Amino acid sequence: MQALLVLIPPSIMITWWHKTTRQIEQNVDFNTHSLDSGFQSQIHIIADSIPPLNSSAASLANLLTSSFNQTDEISFDEIETKVAPTLFLAFTTIPYLSQISYVGLEGLVFSYHIDGNQTLSTYANSSFSSRKKHVWYKQPVDNQTGKLYGEPVRSHSFNVVNTSWFQVALNHSSGYSSLENGWNNGGEPLFLTSVSLLGKGVIAMGVPVKRLTDRLGGINLYGGSLSLITMDEKLLLNGIPNTKFIYVNGTIFLQFMWPNGVKNFPCSNDTSETYMMVIDGKEYNVRCSTVKISGVQSVYALALPHEGIASFVYSKINFSHIALVVTMVLLVIPLVFFISSMTTNAQREIYLHDKLIKQMEATQQAERKSMNKSLALVGASHDIRAALAGITGYIDLCLANAAPGSDFETYLKQMSLCAQDLLGLLNSILDTSKIEAGMMNLEEQEFNLADLIEHVVDLYHPVGMIKGVDVVLDPCDGSIIKLSQVKGDRGKLKQILSNILSNAVKFTVEGHVCVRAWVGKHDFETEILASTRKGVGKYVSRLFSDKNEGNGNVKAESAVRQNRDLVEIVFEVNDTGKGIPKEKQKSVFENYVQVKETAAGQVGTGLGLGIVQSLVHLMGGEIGIVDKEFGEKGTCFRFTVFLTACETQGAAMYGGTNSSFAIRNSSPKLGIRTPSPKLDGSQVVLFMQNIERRRVSQKFLESLGISVLVVDQCHQFPSAMKKIQPKLNSLHHSSRRSDMSCRSDISSSSSKDMPLSAMEGAEHKLPFNRRKDAPSFNLLVIDVNAESFSELWRIVAEFRRGLHSTCCKVIWLDKPTSPCIDPKRLDPDDEILLQPFHGSRLHRVIKLLPEFGNLSQGISSSSESSKHPYSKTRLRNTQRNDEIQEYISSSDEQYSKQGSSSPTLVYTRGRLKSKRKNEDSAESSNGEMPLIGKRILIAEDNKMLSILAITTATQLGADVEHCENGNEALERVCNGLKAQRNYDYVLMDCEMLPMNGYEATRRIRIEEERYGVRIPIIALTAHRSGTEALEAGMDAHLNKPLVANELMKVIESLQTKK
Amino acid sequence: MDLVQLQRQLVDYRTSLYHEGFLDEQFTQLQSLQDENNPDFVVEVVSLFFEDSERLLNELSKALEQQVIDFKRMDAQVHQLKGSSSSIGAHRVQKLCIVFRNYCEAQNVEGCLKCLQQVKHEYGIIKTKLESMFQLEQQILNAGGSIPV
Repeated sequence: MQALLVLIPPSIMITWWHKTTRQIEQNVDFNTHSLDSGFQSQIHIIADSIPPLNSSAASLANLLTSSFNQTDEISFDEIETKVAPTLFLAFTTIPYLSQISYVGLEGLVFSYHIDGNQTLSTYANSSFSSRKKHVWYKQPVDNQTGKLYGEPVRSHSFNVVNTSWFQVALNHSSGYSSLENGWNNGGEPLFLTSVSLLGKGVIAMGVPVKRLTDRLGGINLYGGSLSLITMDEKLLLNGIPNTKFIYVNGTIFLQFMWPNGVKNFPCSNDTSETYMMVIDGKEYNVRCSTVKISGVQSVYALALPHEGIASFVYSKINFSHIALVVTMVLLVIPLVFFISSMTTNAQREIYLHDKLIKQMEATQQAERKSMNKSLALVGASHDIRAALAGITGYIDLCLANAAPGSDFETYLKQMSLCAQDLLGLLNSILDTSKIEAGMMNLEEQEFNLADLIEHVVDLYHPVGMIKGVDVVLDPCDGSIIKLSQVKGDRGKLKQILSNILSNAVKFTVEGHVCVRAWVGKHDFETEILASTRKGVGKYVSRLFSDKNEGNGNVKAESAVRQNRDLVEIVFEVNDTGKGIPKEKQKSVFENYVQVKETAAGQVGTGLGLGIVQSLVHLMGGEIGIVDKEFGEKGTCFRFTVFLTACETQGAAMYGGTNSSFAIRNSSPKLGIRTPSPKLDGSQVVLFMQNIERRRVSQKFLESLGISVLVVDQCHQFPSAMKKIQPKLNSLHHSSRRSDMSCRSDISSSSSKDMPLSAMEGAEHKLPFNRRKDAPSFNLLVIDVNAESFSELWRIVAEFRRGLHSTCCKVIWLDKPTSPCIDPKRLDPDDEILLQPFHGSRLHRVIKLLPEFGNLSQGISSSSESSKHPYSKTRLRNTQRNDEIQEYISSSDEQYSKQGSSSPTLVYTRGRLKSKRKNEDSAESSNGEMPLIGKRILIAEDNKMLSILAITTATQLGADVEHCENGNEALERVCNGLKAQRNYDYVLMDCEMLPMNGYEATRRIRIEEERYGVRIPIIALTAHRSGTEALEAGMDAHLNKPLVANELMKVIESLQTKK
Repeated sequence: MDLVQLQRQLVDYRTSLYHEGFLDEQFTQLQSLQDENNPDFVVEVVSLFFEDSERLLNELSKALEQQVIDFKRMDAQVHQLKGSSSSIGAHRVQKLCIVFRNYCEAQNVEGCLKCLQQVKHEYGIIKTKLESMFQLEQQILNAGGSIPV
């Protein structure tokens, strides 16, 4: 359709063009026609320009006649004297004349004529009759006077008198015109006009034909040609080739000589007919016409090219036609091309549309499916939750039955924690969509960061143990322990950490996984700079990512920036697994992406790190993969989160928690309690299998100022023991021990594998350790997995025997999964610790050291302790009890610090009260039941709330009646009024059916007015403000649920009002 | 099973409930109301709460399944639930009810559905927790001990 529309303008153009060319053709035709007639008229004009000389000839004859006698013969003298001057006069005055002559009957001739460029005179002075020789002479004439001069020359004589024209002219007195030959040398043809002079002679005037033909030849005929002939067959001009005039029966025909014959056209009659003829392959139009030239009737034929200008125009028009057509074609071709491409495009577009629609349908379907899936997930999660709740319930039940302190109990507790985590995970999966929508909010709560980290690490330790991977917690600079209590989203932080840690454990086959955490150097200025930069980046990235998510992030970040108490916590999870290829490092944080090479054989949705990243962003942090040095195996994830430090709380907690070390001071040594004269710096020997754990433990202990000796290979162990033994026993042991510590310093800093014996003779550097004759405390931390237990035990026993006065305590580290320690063989002082040896376990071990508070541990205590091997368990039990006690007290403290009344404290108070109540009920009845004897009506429709209220009031000693709605309440109040037994107070629930509390109150107010009393009505509302209640006429309002002392407060205030 | 251990466990458990925000001081109030005359008071009230809440939750679930949701009625029901949960000190349920009511006021069906799920979940948790606590208490009583306070 459009294509057709496009074709309309060109078709209009072409028709217009056609019309114009038609008009042009017509114009051209008309022009050629007028040109033809123009030629003809021009020919006529030229013909007319040779004027007929009849009149001038006649008047000349008349003039001459008067000078002659009628009868006389005209002599030559007379001619010479009378005729010649007149002739000369006429010759010079009449234009175009080339010859004038007088011819007498007798043969006397006198004439002037122009021959070349001189005027000559030809005459014959003797007549025929004189019998003399009739001779004609030629003599030049003076142009001015007409006199003859010079010698006469004989010339050729003409027999003029006998010519037909002479005979005709002799009888013509008005002039006769004919075409004759001239008398000059060439004998050129002349238009001769002759007139008779008294019948005795003829005067003839001639105009040269050449003059006419010259002029006719001067016409530009545009390729045409002209032929001219007189009626008496004298050809004047023959311009048309291949033709000739023929004279048949008084008619002149124009004869064309065709190659294959001859054709005649009649020409004499003045019909102006046009004939067509072909000359030299060209078509000509031939017109014949008559014309009178100087009185001579003639016929001319004008041959004009049939298509002269017209054909030129036509050919041009044709050419332009072709050009137009070509242009049109050229136009049409691209048009066609364009249209076809348009159509293909349109088709493609339609195709794409179709696809898009299909795609959209598919998307919608997928969305529906996903919706259904999530709905199903919600349903399923509910069921899973129920099942989980069941599991936790049963675990709790088992826990109740488990022997306290047994491994079984520990496992159960772990199980219960796992179940809780599972629940949390379930929540987080459900919340994934929330995160994506940016709707996830942080649930801020206070928690102990160090505990959390340790807990998470402990969780994954057994998993790692099974694979032979050690999960190590590196306390770093101890800043986390220092910080301790923080505020933040505990659950999400735990989720982040567990997720990364589980990944690390999952993808590590051998080696270790090390978790480090420290408080980041929080430079505010750079932070702001960084965050603004980050903000811009976020803004850009927000364009690509989900809008809401971006919003959420930005919001979270701005929130993070606002709070100045924030501390940046940096976490690093470093594993020795397969690692992630560099190019894949960015994509691992995308949802559903797993790195194929490393994930082979591993299950997982690939959702974990995506969630983790979202969560970290939510907490205002960043997550990334730290580049490892070349040759190092594994991956190192580092992420930061911002948490609010609870400064006061942290400081308060400091004394109460296990982690109360001196590390909070910048110098670790300062924190060590002033050693008693008897005690000195302790020696800790670490014998551990895992390099990383050994390094971490050593570093931490040394940072506390404890001298550490590390033994990394079993066969070095005995020798090291032997070396340490005499030093410890000698009187100057302290300085040597300092050597030892130095040595261990060196050994830790330079090379771990270097034998200890190579480190002799180093200087001591801890001056306060140089206390003489002070017995030291020895702590051996031995990992039994490194060597067979019996072997180790033998070495230790040997070492023990060598010791005299110093105390030696051995901590045996055992695998939780496969205990291989024989407790019977252990020294009663020894302790068994389950791996992992970090965090609180490490702290506990440190606490055993005398510098860190374990003053009771010494020779005396060791001697006091029973030799019975089973006392060890007892010791553990008591310790556990202590811990629990500690826990309760610390939580008490925590609650009291938070400002809310601690439940435990309340219990204590309550217990005291009840005891007192039991002791003295009479006193308590007054003290505890202030409402004794009062009648209270409680209107409450909720059974539970009513029971609560009734019990509360009853306990306060009141006589309580209960009703369930406003109507009933009104009725009862009215009854009471009638019976003069008024209620002392009415507790009125506001929202009841059918009559609500407000309405009931209004009615009661009306009713009681008649009796002149006002019963105090207390509203029970769940709304914060009780303005509505007060407006309804109630005296006070209480928030639900009813609390005894609140009730008492209100009642007391009402009483004072009275 | 040692009685002392059981008692300690109960204290531990209860403390953890407070600690984790499942219960607030209202539950302490509730407990203080229980005395010799009314030895099963807490259990009674709590089971009333269970009944009440289950009824309300059912009604809410039904209400949300309707084509036209009566938000006003739902609001009232959530209000009741809030009241009863705050009466026994079921802190988390109460907190959620506040959010729930906001959604009801905003007539946000999605939010209501989500909140209902959460309330149900929290209710389930608190129910389990309380029941196991009562079980523990019962055990102690059966063993002839007194419930530590």
